[in-house]
Amino acid sequence: MTATPARTSQTRVARKRLDALLREREADRGLLIAFEGPDGSGKTTQRKLFTRWLESQGHRVVTTKWASSPLVKPLLKVRKQARALSPEEFCLLQAADLRYRLEQEILPALWSGATVVADRYLFTSLARDAARGLDLDWMLHAYSPLFWPDLVLNFTVSLDTSTSRVASKHTPKYYDAGQDVTNLDDPIVSYRAFETRVMREYENLSLIFRFVAVDGERPIYEQHKRIRQLFQEGRRAAWGEWNVEALAEWMEWTGIHEADHGE
Amino acid sequence: MASRTEARPQLIALDGTRHADLRKAARDLRERLASHKIKSGVSWWDASGVFFEVGLGKKKHRAASPRTLLLLYAADLAFRLRWEIRPALASGQTVIAAPYLDTALAFGEACRLPRDWMASLFAFAPAPDARYVTRERGRASGWKANGREGFAEFVSTVVAGVAPSFDPSDARRRMIEHLETTARRQKSRTIT
Repeated sequence: MTATPARTSQTRVARKRLDALLREREADRGLLIAFEGPDGSGKTTQRKLFTRWLESQGHRVVTTKWASSPLVKPLLKVRKQARALSPEEFCLLQAADLRYRLEQEILPALWSGATVVADRYLFTSLARDAARGLDLDWMLHAYSPLFWPDLVLNFTVSLDTSTSRVASKHTPKYYDAGQDVTNLDDPIVSYRAFETRVMREYENLSLIFRFVAVDGERPIYEQHKRIRQLFQEGRRAAWGEWNVEALAEWMEWTGIHEADHGE
Repeated sequence: MASRTEARPQLIALDGTRHADLRKAARDLRERLASHKIKSGVSWWDASGVFFEVGLGKKKHRAASPRTLLLLYAADLAFRLRWEIRPALASGQTVIAAPYLDTALAFGEACRLPRDWMASLFAFAPAPDARYVTRERGRASGWKANGREGFAEFVSTVVAGVAPSFDPSDARRRMIEHLETTARRQKSRTIT
């Protein structure tokens, strides 16, 4: 569909103003680092170590976790307990959760110069929901405008390692085990079947979106050193073109556009 | 010859900005269908309780943008299709979906959300067999309804609490314009 001339001209003016604001903020903006990978791959352990190290280096750090927004978390919790979610509803509620956290936590933190560490990001939903049979293109649309992390660390482990680490802590829950799609009664058997699909989807996503692989089977401190190294070697780049739409929308709704313009 | 009751069940979209008008229009439509011996039921917004639960949450946690609210509406619609609309159609009942897609699209349009994003988001929802829009009352007065009453009222109340630039009355005017334009294009019938 085509935009109206008024809308196009409005957009052009807003875009110019936005580009100027983003250039001004570029040097002070924070970085978004995403920790991704299947359950039991060691993400959370490494995220905590990395966060502590960042703080020791004087960084202000904000951590954001998957499906944790005060708006959507209670909705998901009740529906998961009732086993009432279809793959579409699950995906849409998670998309609402990420959008909310982007607008309320992630973008404000990045704008203020904090480093944001995401314990799971968009790719968790893409991998799991693709494993549930949803179309990747439709999901990417639902999540758009996408906001791309500066670094995506993808923790890889074998299916056996993932299963044994998860099973040593607790029995996987209904949706974590993918029992909604495998129709298998045994949570562990279902987890293995579902996680095989999820890992395949992570591999596909990794090729498309160029994740940086971290071998989750290596000793904990070795992984941690590699993550520090990746972070230190990472070049601070300008906010990507693909992130500008998400930023523009957030700024428009929060009024930052006007506030910063008036300063 | 097949009787009217054996006719293919239909999905009827009923859209409008005020819940009170939708409620009255849905009742009138059901009576009309019943007079032709057609069994019907109504699928209301928020059958899944998503918005009700959002309304129960703390006000500071309700700071959702129009895009977030449309994602929640899409989740609710997916629920309605799965548990209400498709099963009722399969059992031979005509379903009035109040509201269906056009009210949500009108809200997105009023908030200047990209049309292609909205079209893709709702691609899972089947096109209705017939479309009705309510006659919009009280245009000049903007919103007077309880913010929890209907989708358009609820989301406008939420966004007004977040976005300093959002004027609910202006948003309603733009929603009505969009609904009327869409109704003309799709030859929807107006119901009072």
